[in-house]
Amino acid sequence: MAMIRAGLQRLASVFSSQGGILSRLITQNAPSQNTTVPNTTKDVIATCNKLIEERSSRNFAIVHLLGKQWRVTDGDLLVVEGYWPPNIGDKITLDKVLLAATKDFSLIGRPLVQPGLVTVTATIISKGLSHTRTHFKKKRRKQYMRINFQRAQQTILRINSVEIANRINEAPNNVF
Amino acid sequence: MSNKNLFLKSAFVRAPLQNGVGRYVCQLQRIVLKFCKSHGASRGIRDFIEQDLVDFSRQNPGVVVYLKPRRHRGPVLVAEYLNGDRVWMSVHNKTHSEITKWMEVLRTQQGDVAGARLKKYQYTDYPSVQGPWTPFTFKDPELNVATLPDPKFGANNRLSVSATEKLRLMFEKQKISEKDMKIGE
Repeated sequence: MAMIRAGLQRLASVFSSQGGILSRLITQNAPSQNTTVPNTTKDVIATCNKLIEERSSRNFAIVHLLGKQWRVTDGDLLVVEGYWPPNIGDKITLDKVLLAATKDFSLIGRPLVQPGLVTVTATIISKGLSHTRTHFKKKRRKQYMRINFQRAQQTILRINSVEIANRINEAPNNVF
Repeated sequence: MSNKNLFLKSAFVRAPLQNGVGRYVCQLQRIVLKFCKSHGASRGIRDFIEQDLVDFSRQNPGVVVYLKPRRHRGPVLVAEYLNGDRVWMSVHNKTHSEITKWMEVLRTQQGDVAGARLKKYQYTDYPSVQGPWTPFTFKDPELNVATLPDPKFGANNRLSVSATEKLRLMFEKQKISEKDMKIGE
């Protein structure tokens, strides 16, 4: 009986506490007014905001772009394959930020970091075609042979800046 | 076909002269359209020259456009880029719309992009910001002050539970439940 009771208590703690297994199911947009923020948490957030203000280290972010996730930082080059409308010289912002971080802390989105907090800007610098890829198929002794050639569209992106705003603890302002 | 069997250069993605960091500069420097005034193979390129070429050069003031008529020779586009690359392309029997598309490709690419296979699709000067991962990243720092050998860290906890151990566990459980029964009584 004692063992069963202990097990039940553990189960209850898993489901009820904030840091339990199911914490990932709690949305980031839950109203944060009612909950009291413990002092250590406040300190951590204030320290992070200060670090952002001081620009003490390089930022990086993980962005979602055409079905792929890229780790980007200032000055990076990315090659995106396939049809993509932006043309050369266009400046765009990459809005699907899954994670943003500096040397000392990371902001992890669930699944996205709140909009407006992180701005990743990029410039399109080249739109061309890849080298010719050969698709060669052959089955022996079956009189079967196919050869196809294809070239994919390649867009080269320059990441201009990854900026984190020093408003980590503010309520999200949903712009979309 | 594996890449090692291709008679093709391989390269990493680069941009000439930090293009796009401060401002963006169109990399196409010069384009030469070679064609014949009478031959049928140059029909598309002649249409292009008559209808679209003036607009093209107006919209791209940074690009020098040359026309080179030559008798009874195939139509060709030659593009030269700021990084020194030269792309030669035959447009034999290509239609007006096909030539419009190829001109757009030549205008927007940054050099002879198709001349080499890309090994990586990303380039970064800073491969790690928070430090590369090691087996000790995110491990309990307790290990740093422990004196080894230590049964806590040296324990082999990867073996599955043996039948004997299972039996012992069952026995212990049974003992606990019996004790509870007695207390309850």
